[in-house]
Amino acid sequence: MADLIIETRDLVKKFGKFTAVNGLSLEVPAGSIYGFVGPNGAGKTTTMRMLTTLTRPTSGQAWVGGHSVTEQPRAVRRAIGYMPDEFGVYDDMRVWEYLDFFAACYDIPETERRRLIEDLLQLVDLSHRRDDMVDKLSRGMKQRLSLARTLAHDPAVLILDEPASGLDPRARVEIRELLVELARMGKTIFFSTHILADVGEICTHIGIVEAGQMIAQGSMADMRAQLQPHREITVTLRDETAVETLKSVVSALPGIVGVTELEPKNGRSRVRIDFAGDDDAVADLNAKLSGASIAILGFTEETKDLEAMFMRVTKGIVS
Amino acid sequence: MTETLSLEVERSPRELLLARAGDILQRGAVVNAGIAAVVLLLGLIAGTHIIANLFDLLRGVLLVRYSGTADLALAVVILLALLNVSLLLVVMVGVVAREVWTLPALVLVVIGNLAALVLLGFTPALVTIGFALWAGVVLRTDTQAFRVNPVMLKELRGRMRGVRAFAVMTVYLGLMSGFTLLLYLIYGTVARSSGSAAAGEIGRVLFLGVVGIELLLIIFIAPAFTAGAITGERERQTYDLLQTTLLATPSFVIGKLESALGYILLLLLSGIPLESIAFLFGGVTELELVLAFIILLVTAIALGTVGIYFSAAMPRTLVANVRAYSVILGAMFIAPVIASAVLNMINNLLFMRAGAPLSPFFEALTRYLDLLLTSVNPVETGLSTQSLLVDQRVLGFYAYTLRSDGSTIPLVSPWITFTIIYLAISAVLVVLTIRRTKETSI
Repeated sequence: MADLIIETRDLVKKFGKFTAVNGLSLEVPAGSIYGFVGPNGAGKTTTMRMLTTLTRPTSGQAWVGGHSVTEQPRAVRRAIGYMPDEFGVYDDMRVWEYLDFFAACYDIPETERRRLIEDLLQLVDLSHRRDDMVDKLSRGMKQRLSLARTLAHDPAVLILDEPASGLDPRARVEIRELLVELARMGKTIFFSTHILADVGEICTHIGIVEAGQMIAQGSMADMRAQLQPHREITVTLRDETAVETLKSVVSALPGIVGVTELEPKNGRSRVRIDFAGDDDAVADLNAKLSGASIAILGFTEETKDLEAMFMRVTKGIVS
Repeated sequence: MTETLSLEVERSPRELLLARAGDILQRGAVVNAGIAAVVLLLGLIAGTHIIANLFDLLRGVLLVRYSGTADLALAVVILLALLNVSLLLVVMVGVVAREVWTLPALVLVVIGNLAALVLLGFTPALVTIGFALWAGVVLRTDTQAFRVNPVMLKELRGRMRGVRAFAVMTVYLGLMSGFTLLLYLIYGTVARSSGSAAAGEIGRVLFLGVVGIELLLIIFIAPAFTAGAITGERERQTYDLLQTTLLATPSFVIGKLESALGYILLLLLSGIPLESIAFLFGGVTELELVLAFIILLVTAIALGTVGIYFSAAMPRTLVANVRAYSVILGAMFIAPVIASAVLNMINNLLFMRAGAPLSPFFEALTRYLDLLLTSVNPVETGLSTQSLLVDQRVLGFYAYTLRSDGSTIPLVSPWITFTIIYLAISAVLVVLTIRRTKETSI
């Protein structure tokens, strides 16, 4: 396994009697885009607050960039860029002043800040709003500015809490593209979300959390394979007779797990073939069916989407 | 994943260096406080005349070139040592917060002490000079560590933008001018009807009126500027952002304080021309103007730190404001009344029991107690300092003749003790604020 840049072991956080995070173990490889997914109240924000040294864990340990969150908070702060789910608004501040202030907080000398601000604004495509007041920006722009702020000290890890929440579709896509771009620049991106489409689109790794515990985590490919052990191919046929022919042809082939007749759709019969095999085997199957002169209207492989995956592993418990 | 914990990673060389210099200065302050305490103790022993010529001996050692009486010399030594305590603490906070003004301040402390050494023969200055130079040598390797406080810069940019800051100042000066005019008209009418209109008296009344109003405004404005400083950041949820940066807590607290006091300083400076109207009528000297300014500024600093302390200690701005105002109004208006009542009672009680004038010891004690009570209140300090200046031409130290046996005790104009007490309170509150802010941060 690649080097882990964020790691937690049995992390627990209790607020009085309420347990927000309950023995969470997290493994984020360096250079990954890690989607931290879970229902509201699952403990995502609390976990992130512990990783960013804002909240002290009740028990358990956490390391970011090799530094213990509890023992070396300043070293951790140097390694991370954190974006909370709410945009911290300073009234009476221009866009460049906002970045200048945070750059100064990260001890970047004044002589370098000017150049840095221009670069950051260019990266998040806000150069044209440089002298505007922060509270005049749209929500998407504020989110991009926030992202620029997290990059001021060139951290190795970005910890982003719900970066796409409350954004319109266009702004969401822009943020997503920005994250991919940042990952290309070598940053590790650890972000929480409940928008599964975002995860499927850009993540290399995923962790699913529920009721303060990690239910499943790993690379996207592993998770897909784990949750969906065989391929599903749906064949659309012209009529009932074709169904019988298909069944007889298919059942003789190797690697077939099951053949199920589905509800007809638009008056057309449909059959689902559960099938274990690689792409060559799928092509082979397709050729066999064509050769058997069955009236086939459609042949598609269904990839189970993340939502189905998510629904299967989570139980809907919100503590 | 490695679990090595190395402190070198946790604190950068620069942070270690600053912490070391801060420690040195703090040690210097502690040594100075020790000197003040020991001299006070020796002074008390000398006062009992058990050891002959102790006063002269101490003066010979501590304040070689001082020409006044020996007991006065001890008072000067104690106050100079306490002044050094305050200065070293202020510079220490500046070093830890990496303020640009720190190095010049350090140089000024050294120059001031050198002057005291040469002019007065104030030998304990060597201690302060030693610690200051030591800290300077430590800091010499990294002068780049000091910078303009980012929080102050941000706050001032926000505060001075647009018309608001200038509108506030205009309203402030407008009200003050109106008040001055009103005072002039009223006083003019009264004086005319009574037939005694000395120009100097009008000047004095106008001056006192303007300074009094300024003091009142500061009492109400200073805590308002700072009580929301830290709670406001928490409420706007920007505090988390700051905490995840490398901004040190002292820098944050000092920056907030500097920006609030900076604006108050501006208001005070803009009020000086109004105070100076008194010069047209005479009766007021430049010295009084300077002293009034010092008292107003020191009051603003102390009340500002009270506000910021409650801002760190309380969860919400409203609670912080309520607490800050209760404490300040209590200390400014209620406490003096109670204190003077108590002092009066003690005075009467002692006087009645003795059936005769007080014994010299008790009279001296009540004089010192009186000085102490006067110097914890800016109004009383101002009035008493002015009357001393006008009636007795006393600006600093003076010998007070006891009524009981005609001997003299050394006393000091209250503005000096006031400044030292208020600055010390401010320094302690700033340190407590930093501690409180750190406590809530993890």
